[in-house]
This record gives sequence, C-alpha cells and structure tokens, in this order.
Amino acid sequence: MNPVIPAPVPVPLPAPPWLLEFLLVFTFILHLLAMNFLLGGAIILSVSSYFGRRDSRHNGLTRRVSRAMPPVTAFTITLGVAPLLFLQLVYGQLFYTSSDLMAWYWLAVVFLVLLGYYGIYWYQMQHDELGPKAAWVILGTAILFVLVAFIFTQNMTSMLHPQDFYRLFMSGQVGTILGSVTPLNIARLAHFVVAAVALAGLGIALLSSRWRRESPELADWGRRYGVMWFMGATLVQFLVGLWFLFSFPVDIRQALVGQKLAVGLVVLGVLLALLALLTAPKSLLASSVAILGTVSVMAVLRHLVRLAYLRPYFDPHSLPVQGQWVVFCIFVVLLLAGIATVGWMLHVFYRPPATRRASM
Amino acid sequence: MNYPVWQPFMLGGGLVIGFIAILHVFVSHFAVGGGLFLPLTEHKAYRENNPALLEYVKSHSKFFVLVVLVFGAVSGVSIWWSIGLINPEATATLIHVFVWGWAIEWVFFIVEIAAAFIYYYGWDRLDPKTHLLVGWIYFAAAWASLLVINGILTFMLTPGRWLDTQTFASAYFNPGMLPSLVVRTAVCIALAGVYALITSAAVGDVALRSEVVAYAAKWLLLGTAIIPFAGIWYISTLPSMAREISMGGAPAVTIFAGFSVFFSALVMAFTYFGPHRRPGHFNMVFAFLLAILALSTTGVTEWVREAVRKPYIIYDYMYANSFRVADMGRLRDQGVLKSARWVREHEVDPHALERAGEEVFRVQCASCHTVYGYNSIRFAVKGWSWSMIDYQLGHLDSLKGFMPPFVGTDAERQALGAWLASLNPVPASIRIEPEASNAKSQSSDATGEGASQP
Repeated sequence: MNPVIPAPVPVPLPAPPWLLEFLLVFTFILHLLAMNFLLGGAIILSVSSYFGRRDSRHNGLTRRVSRAMPPVTAFTITLGVAPLLFLQLVYGQLFYTSSDLMAWYWLAVVFLVLLGYYGIYWYQMQHDELGPKAAWVILGTAILFVLVAFIFTQNMTSMLHPQDFYRLFMSGQVGTILGSVTPLNIARLAHFVVAAVALAGLGIALLSSRWRRESPELADWGRRYGVMWFMGATLVQFLVGLWFLFSFPVDIRQALVGQKLAVGLVVLGVLLALLALLTAPKSLLASSVAILGTVSVMAVLRHLVRLAYLRPYFDPHSLPVQGQWVVFCIFVVLLLAGIATVGWMLHVFYRPPATRRASM
Repeated sequence: MNYPVWQPFMLGGGLVIGFIAILHVFVSHFAVGGGLFLPLTEHKAYRENNPALLEYVKSHSKFFVLVVLVFGAVSGVSIWWSIGLINPEATATLIHVFVWGWAIEWVFFIVEIAAAFIYYYGWDRLDPKTHLLVGWIYFAAAWASLLVINGILTFMLTPGRWLDTQTFASAYFNPGMLPSLVVRTAVCIALAGVYALITSAAVGDVALRSEVVAYAAKWLLLGTAIIPFAGIWYISTLPSMAREISMGGAPAVTIFAGFSVFFSALVMAFTYFGPHRRPGHFNMVFAFLLAILALSTTGVTEWVREAVRKPYIIYDYMYANSFRVADMGRLRDQGVLKSARWVREHEVDPHALERAGEEVFRVQCASCHTVYGYNSIRFAVKGWSWSMIDYQLGHLDSLKGFMPPFVGTDAERQALGAWLASLNPVPASIRIEPEASNAKSQSSDATGEGASQP
C-alpha cells in the first residue's frame, strides 16, 4: 500500500533545501550542547546531591553547578526553537502527521518542560534549605527531562516512517497513538542520555576552574569528578553506540555503509571521541574541542540517517523554491549583531572586578 | 483534511490554543513592558539617589525573571506546539511565508534571554552604567521580538497585498501591522504597571510602598489611556465583515467586545481611584484583583480578535477548517471524503449515512466544534429536523457569516445531516408518529427548499 503523506503547502520554500538543512543541523548542534548540560547535569546532580548529604565536597559542587542550570535551561529551550522551525519547514508533512497521531503526548512535552524548569529553579534557589530533600527534587526534574527526551525520540523516529502512518491512524484515536516503543527507540534514547551525561561531566569539569579563587581544593576535586563522569559515560557510550548502530534495520545500515561520507563520519566521530577520552585528564580544552567535533559529526550523521529513511517516500529537493534573499540577509546581519551583543555582555559580566568598575 | 484531525475531546482545539495563548499574551506583553519598566525605574533610582527604590527594582527583577523567562518562554513555545497540532496546514503556511521573520525573532530571543540573566545576576557585578545598558539591550530585543511577531499575527486577519504578490514584504507590512503594534506596545506599558503593582504591594516599608504603588499606577494609566485611540485605528483597518461581526453581527462576539471595553474601563477606574489616588491604602488583595481584571481584559480581547477572523484562519485565503479558498471548487466536485487523506470512509455508503457523516464532520467541522463539549455541535442542532439541518448546511456561509461554506457532494452533505440529526434523540411525541418519513417530507416542504432525501 502506498504511504499516505499530506500534500506539501502550495507556497514555495523561502530558500533552497540545502541551506535550510544546513541551518537545521547547525542550530540542532547548538541545542544539543545546552540540552546535554541540562539533562546530563540534572542526572549527575541527582547522584551528587544524594552523596552531598554527608560529603561537603559534593554539597559544594551541587550548590555551584545548580547556579548554572537556570540559564542552561533557558538556552536549551530557545536554542531548540530554531531546529524545530527548520524541521517544520522542510519536513512538515511528516512531522505534523506524526505529532498529531501522538498529540496528547506531544503536547505534554511543554508541560513537562515547564514543571522541570521550575524544578531547576526550586533546586537552585532552595538548595541549602531543602537539605536532604534536594536530591529528590533534582531527581524528579531529571526524570521529567528524560520523559521529554523519550517523547521526542518517539516522534522523531515516527516521522521517518510515513509508510506506517495510515496503519497507526487506523489503529486508534488520533492523539493517543504513541507508536510502538521499539528496541531501536530505546537504544536511541539511551544513546542520547548517555551522551548527555558525558558532556555534562565535561561541562562540570570546565565549570570547576571558575571556583579556583574561592576554593582551590573544590576546584581540583570538581575537575576530577567531572572528568570521571565524562570518561565513564563515554566508555559506556561505546557499548550503547554499538547497540544503537546494530538496532537499525539492515536496509538503512546498508544504505549508510554504501555512502563513503557516512562511513567516514562514523569513523571520524569514534576517533574524535577516543581522542577526547584520552586527552580529558590532561587538557580539558583539547578534550572539549574533540568532543565538540564528535557532537557535530554525529548530528550530520543523524541527518544522513533521516535522509536514508525517507529516500523512498520524500525528497525535500523536489519542493518548489523562491528565495526570500533580502530578509535572509537581514537575518544573517542581525544574527551576527546578536552574537556580538551577547559576547559583549558576557565579556563585561565575566571580566575581573577591578577592570569591571574602572571602565565605562 | 490534509492531516489527521486531533479532537481534544470536550475542549476542542480552539479552547486549547485559546487557554495557552491568553496566558502567554498576559506574560509576554509584561516581558516587553517590564523590560522598559526595569531600566527606567533603575535610572530614576540613581537620579534621585534613592537606594530604597533601587532595592525594590532588584526584587522586582527576580520576580520578572521567574515569570518571564520561565513561563513566558515555555508558554510561547506551547502556542507553537498547539497550533501545529490543531491547525498544521495553517501553521505550515505561516512558516513558509515567515520563516525568516521567525528566525529573526529567534535571534532577538537569544539576546533577550542573555540580557535578562546578565541584568539579574549583574546587580552586584556590573557598574550602574553598564548594568543599565544591559537593561536597555534587554528592552530593545524584547520590543523587537514583538515587532516581528505582531506583523505575523496581523497578517492572519489582514493579509492585504500578499494575496496577490506572495512576497514577504507585502505579507509582513500588512494593513493591521502598525496600528496593532501601537495597541500592543500600550498593552505592554499597562501590564508593566499591573505586575509592578503586585511586587510593590509586597514592599514592607510603608513610605516606599506608597511611592512605588503611585509610580506603578502611572504606568497602568498611561497604557490604558493609549489603548482606545490605537484600538480605533486598528479596528479601522479590519475587513468590513470582521467589524460587522464584532458590532452586532454575532451576538456572542459583540458581547465579548463589550466586555473588553467594560473591563478596560474598570481597570482604569480602579487604578485611578485606588493606587493612583490612595496609594497608601493599596494592598496585595487589590493588586491581585486588578491583575485578574487585566487578565480578563486580555482574555476577552484576544478572544474577540480571534473570533472576528472567522470564517477564515488566514483571511480570504484559508478557512478556519484549513480548507484553502482556492481549493473549494475542486472539493465541491470531488467531495471531501475522496480528497481527505485521513478518513476511514472515502465514499458515502447509503446504508451507513451516519458513519460517513461523522467522517465529514471530523474533516470539515471539528477544528471549531466538538460533539459534546466546547462549541458543541449536538447542542447547536438540538431540536432541528433533518431537513432543517440540510437547509442550514446548504447555506452555511450566508446564514451564519462567521462559518465557512459547507463543501462537498450532495451525498456528503446529506450524510453529515443524517449524522447531526442522529445526535439528539427524537422527542417521544414524534417517535410515536406512525410514519416518520411523512414527518420528514412535510418539514422539508415547510422550508421551501425541497432538500433531497438521502
């Protein structure tokens, strides 16, 4: 039976698909960085808060890391808007259909995020007052975010299977059809969660250098602690990654193996992860650059997987295009101006107190 | 029709979007107005060398961050989430037209969030001049995001030249854009006052409380004073049918429009005689009452703004049920069931009319009507005979100006009529009639339309 896919909007795309797909992947990488720190950070803080009941180092660490969490949450949400915007533009026919089938679950995402966000603030603002309860608050928040990740995994996988849409539609009431939770989906979720813990570990190690003036001992311990999480999770990831890779249907795996680019990216991603693992104890900077490379490579690979899944049913390059170049240029100029403005604000915020008051 | 139709049972799609959108509007306009309030009040504190006022601004900024950055941001995303689920076709169209507009708005959001955090965490880290500058950067970015989204919102009601040109510029610079921007900016100023009244009511020091309450009341009065003038300008740009609907054409909309004016007047009167004239007597209960009143004003006004757009979701381009005006001829010839992708029946089975009728309802009516809940169709057709229903369906757009025309084949219309007629049990007095078909043909004669029997 032919897959049922909605007709495209009879308004041309405002830019060629390659540009929109580039922006989709690029902004998704930005979202991933913030999201990893948030999700992985909430998981690590849950463990640390538990030990922090008796251990002052854990307690000092959770108090300091918790301060970074509200801005990270805000940026996770906002940086996530852009990739979802470009996804809806290019793949809307698939995305809206899969979302509608699971509408109640999909709508639940925003309420789970809202609760989680206030959970983050509760944990940060009441860190000391909560005492032993703090561990439960942040654990609950972490669970909310894992649930969000689960619903995302279901939807992002479901939209790649338009051949199943009509069967799903006939199987129940629109809005309640979450789709089956396959081993592939579980592997995909695990892959993301473990990656988040690894990156958050590295993030905590990086953050700890800022505590040096206040408490050099804690800064040293925090660095080792963060690196430990990073290395542990990355080692686990080699297993989870293999599991994920071998969960793909044979035809998809073969389609990827047939592409030099895809094979090259897998190899490059793994090598960069190994490099990050080896350099982590010595140089956080080298390790961070390497892992940023891994994340970027994996995001591109993810896009190739999406294309491989959809090739028989949908080709974005077949859609009509009529470039809105003037307003695109305005966007680029404003983006650069925006980055410069944020850069300047961060600069004045983080410069040492002596120069902070002298200038302006 | 192009997408599976999600019917959030008793609520209906409109109510889900409305509920989220009204709360978001109430917070997002504060995000802009509060962004003006903070640096201006901070500046005032420095100018008057008033450390107590500065302390108040600090505590207000914490409240601001918790309300705006969390609820404002997530509720904004929620609107997008809900419109994508309930009106995917219209959402997809808007994104095709305005994606770079949204991308620009996104840049402003990033700057806005960064500035808000640095402003909030920077009270003790930044020198006053730099801190103020960060406050102004926040406001500039927040107002710029309003500038972008406002044009997209007014496009839906007054798409103007875009219908012919299909260009971004003609879509964005539509007839309603400028007056609506003035209205919304005034709302931002008024809401900055509403929220400031809440935080100022919590100030412990009596002298400071009176000072801040009187100051916040000025914001509210200034905002509400501008709104009627800008509002009249905005209304003058509306399509004539939209004006008719709000001024008597559809009683419910007219009543809500009246509520909007009445609540606004109440807010103004309470503010003038309360916090403005007697700031010393102002307290938290009064502050919350004012906030609830302001929320009610926002709610009914946004509801009216949505309602007057009927029967369209994008005026003169797409009907509220996501059918494009340009597609109506084709749908009339082919029928909706044949054209719809997500139905269980593609033909009308003369032996199971109700089943096909329910499918027609789902693809054509369910974006506004529920069966039993909000805007219930069962209630709407209560007491109507099958022929009365059929006549109404045949003349929907002329009988009820705020509804799209029924589109589909005769058989589909009759099937929908049969299903609608089956929703309400036939009164006992009719059920005991010996020949039900007689009663049907009699009432069909009475309408003078001679609607054909299924």
